[in-house]
Amino acid sequence: MLTLLKLKLPETLKAVAPLITVITFLQFTVVGASADVFLQFLAGAALVTVGLLLLLTGIDFGILPMGRFIGGKLAEKNSIPLLLVVAFALGFATTAAEPDVLVLAGQVDEASQGALRQQPLVYLISAGVGLSVAIAFYRVVRGFSMRALLTVLLALMIVSTFAAPAGWIPLAYDAGSVTTGALTGPVVLAVALGVSAVIAGRSAVNDGFGLLGIASIGPIILILIIGVLAR
Amino acid sequence: MTESALLADILRTARGVALAVFPLAALFAVFQALFLRLPRLEITRIAIGTLLAAVGLFLFLLGVAVGFMPFGKAIGEAVGAMPQQWLVVLFGAALGFVTTWGEPAVRVLADQVEQASAGAIRQGLVLLAMCIGVAVAVGLGMLRIAYELPLVWMLVPGYVLVIALVWMSDRGFVAIAVDSGGVATGPLANTFLLALALGASGAVAGRDPLTHGLGLVALISLAPIIALMVLGFIVRLKERSTEVGS
Repeated sequence: MLTLLKLKLPETLKAVAPLITVITFLQFTVVGASADVFLQFLAGAALVTVGLLLLLTGIDFGILPMGRFIGGKLAEKNSIPLLLVVAFALGFATTAAEPDVLVLAGQVDEASQGALRQQPLVYLISAGVGLSVAIAFYRVVRGFSMRALLTVLLALMIVSTFAAPAGWIPLAYDAGSVTTGALTGPVVLAVALGVSAVIAGRSAVNDGFGLLGIASIGPIILILIIGVLAR
Repeated sequence: MTESALLADILRTARGVALAVFPLAALFAVFQALFLRLPRLEITRIAIGTLLAAVGLFLFLLGVAVGFMPFGKAIGEAVGAMPQQWLVVLFGAALGFVTTWGEPAVRVLADQVEQASAGAIRQGLVLLAMCIGVAVAVGLGMLRIAYELPLVWMLVPGYVLVIALVWMSDRGFVAIAVDSGGVATGPLANTFLLALALGASGAVAGRDPLTHGLGLVALISLAPIIALMVLGFIVRLKERSTEVGS
């Protein structure tokens, strides 16, 4: 693990250096925030750097193997209902717990002056993610075309965009993209790679990926449709 | 920053991390008990890794909450007061690039792509394509706010383009590309880019932040999809020309 930490250190520094550089440049050219706020930013940057190092190491060391074990076992069990239940649970539970989703739901609650409540919105988005993760896993197992599935889902999304009230559109599209956070993303990715590794004839590149993307499209369609119904 | 505000941030972040880790730990515990039955060594490894990731996520999010949020607000205010719109576009693009570059989930995805493709698709290439995609998206998003273009004018043509690219791009890139849309919008983007958008949209009085500020996230998740699919299209064209050549 120590070697892994050492291995991740240069990557971490490379990851945060441009952000810190650009922010520092902005501070001294146009932003000119108070010294307090800038010092706070630098302290935050130190925390973010250490945090990112531990996070990336922990994901590589424990989280990704965990996901791959679960995915591999799921595929071995060869039971479609079990796979669908686990996929839905994985999508729902991790999304409902994702801080990003709460933040977004809170912002919407606030911006809409309480017309759209935070907690129901969180569950709604989570159910959308759960459903789409289940569909995406089903695709991996049955091996039908990613291209066809995406075309259908995106076409549905575009059509419902035209049908939904204008105010719902940014909300729906934002809801879709805040669902895959720093922990959920890697786990879902690893489970999918685990499933595709065990099922014969699946390629990791074609079948191991795509779940996160589909998990983001699901809640977009769901909220757009609710928008259509609510008008 | 007062001590009580800091304490509140610490508690909120700790709660968020605990909430994010709990369902994963529960899922694993159920799996371990029912099906997996991994040896103790593997369990220890997974537990240590999860703990490390949880502590890391806590520090990362705390740094974002304590250090980045106030500065994000300052950027938003500065942008709101700025007379030159083109500068805002430039800032947006620069911030879009560097936030994506630092986003943890983006790095994990790029890493996994390199591993899954056995090195055929390099991590750096995926990362760069995504960062360029987000930079363009944020730039366009700022233009959209400045000129009050409806979000739909960008989203619908964008996703129609994605449908076309799904069939034109190299098959291996299609799945990776849709995933990239999901990971580009992490905590860093949410802090800096949303603050930028809210600042820019607040600059014009009477604008509804719900329809003008937040739509940026939608563009940020669309852009890397297009960027990676275009990359896949280029790869496919190159392969075809080498086939014809040989």
